[in-house]
Amino acid sequence: MAPSAGRRSALLGLGGALLAAAAPAEQPTQIAPGVFVLPGVHEDASPTNGNAIANVGFIVGGASVAVVDPGGSLAHGQRLRRAVEAATPLPIRHLVLTHAHPDHVMGAAAFADLRPEVIGHARLPEALAQRREGYLRMLEREMGPAAAGSDALPPTRLVEDRFDLDLGGGRALSIAAHGPAHTDADLSLFDSATSTLWLSDLLFVERIPSLDGSLSGWMRALAALRDCPAARAVPGHGPPAVPWPTAGMALAGYLEALREGTRAAIASGLGIAEAPARVATTEAARWRLAESYHGRNVSTAYRELEWE
Amino acid sequence: MVRPLARRPLLAGALSLPWLAPAIGRAQGIEPAETPRRAERWRDLKEAIFDGRPTEPAGDALTLVAPTRALDAAAVPISLSLSADAAPRVRAIHLVIDENPSPVAAVFRAGPAGDLRALSARVRVDAYTWMHAVAEFGDGRLLETAQFVKAAGGCSAPVGTDLRAARERMGRMRMALPEGPPTGPERAVPVQIAVSHPNTSGLQIDQLSRLNIPAEFVRALRVLYRGAEVLRVECDISIAENPTFGFALAGEAGGELRVEAEDNRDRRFASAWTVGASG
Repeated sequence: MAPSAGRRSALLGLGGALLAAAAPAEQPTQIAPGVFVLPGVHEDASPTNGNAIANVGFIVGGASVAVVDPGGSLAHGQRLRRAVEAATPLPIRHLVLTHAHPDHVMGAAAFADLRPEVIGHARLPEALAQRREGYLRMLEREMGPAAAGSDALPPTRLVEDRFDLDLGGGRALSIAAHGPAHTDADLSLFDSATSTLWLSDLLFVERIPSLDGSLSGWMRALAALRDCPAARAVPGHGPPAVPWPTAGMALAGYLEALREGTRAAIASGLGIAEAPARVATTEAARWRLAESYHGRNVSTAYRELEWE
Repeated sequence: MVRPLARRPLLAGALSLPWLAPAIGRAQGIEPAETPRRAERWRDLKEAIFDGRPTEPAGDALTLVAPTRALDAAAVPISLSLSADAAPRVRAIHLVIDENPSPVAAVFRAGPAGDLRALSARVRVDAYTWMHAVAEFGDGRLLETAQFVKAAGGCSAPVGTDLRAARERMGRMRMALPEGPPTGPERAVPVQIAVSHPNTSGLQIDQLSRLNIPAEFVRALRVLYRGAEVLRVECDISIAENPTFGFALAGEAGGELRVEAEDNRDRRFASAWTVGASG
């Protein structure tokens, strides 16, 4: 199944314009002044896409640049770094890791020599300690030799609740740490200068959400974020920018259906082995990659809700 | 990338298989080239677990059901059943997940007041693996059966999603009777029990965070009905977070069902329920 080594390196080494339609974007989209998003593709990690499957990007301040999620692989991180360097001469001083998932953090190695401040949720070190090794193995399995050199960086600043990140020139990002939601270590950012709410994987659009934290916690977090006076949001998967809060409604609907369906399954004595094929399948069918993630979401929801 | 086997706790304290370490260090795909290695691994495991006693194919006597492709590798539901003929004669069933760092996931032992005719559990699967079940009869005979389980990405979520919540309610138990209470000694009904526990495997110090997550797992569980032992389970880190087991219970309704559990830190948990006469 895997392409030959030669073909693989050729694909990874070429510019985006020469690649097939499925290839990840080479150029970032400026969604608001100084706010850049490099959009990911709706696929799982492969040698061809270099695990560039999540929306990552950067925010340019008056004195420095903050990278928001360094990418899913060394190559993805390097591509993001080139995009920053093409957009501004200002130094990259901060890496924000919005959560521990590999498609968001494994490109950090591309920024290691800059010795940036690495900002993460207070629970991020524990999450990385438990998962990083498995994620590295998974990348190697899915991407082959193209995974080499990919890795996260240890957080140097932990956010318990809120933290204001000053990028100079009057631009400050308000970073919020959430309770267990998409994962148990989610951060969101609000750029008041452009009224942009960077939600990363707290918001999925088009691609089916993956639940890896707390279903009820995610629903609560979304409800609270709905009141945020943002003009636009950046989803972790989906278009680079979407209108807020309307673009969160599909996600809220899916999570609600997942919760109600799973609660009903538990109440009726339907087992965890049978529930995935029976719960919220209509709602799931509206999303990309549902066949890969919905069953797992049901299983995760089941394990949470049976202890309610 | 794969930690040496010897570093992980094995189910039986004295059982140590350091010579197997190189075998699991190899690639863990499903290529035909893997077949001899997998067969050799099971032979080695059997030799170590059963002291070289021979096993025979189980045929219809013992059935292992597991998903061929696991949705959630952190909690793969499995079930084990014995034929009516075998059930009264089987003393123990060993569940082995060949490629897991700690392969012996659980040993179920029948108590004087129960049998192993219908069991279930949720297990962690670390890689594409053969899963084996071996029934041990009262006369010492061993019958084995197996199923191959694909659990790609399994190691990406080897632990619970919200460990803090699991720790906070550690020791809380649940009991469910999906088909109601038992109605007599001749008719068994399914029972599900669960203990809230993070059941973490423990890690070496992580090179990135310098954090060491200590191992905390349930190692033994005992079920009694009307004071008589129905089932004992010896288990460890291959059992999913919040260890959950199913078994069949026969007897007159209205008795007390008691579950006792103990973890590797010698913490003891117990709960009891009166199993209603008619709901």
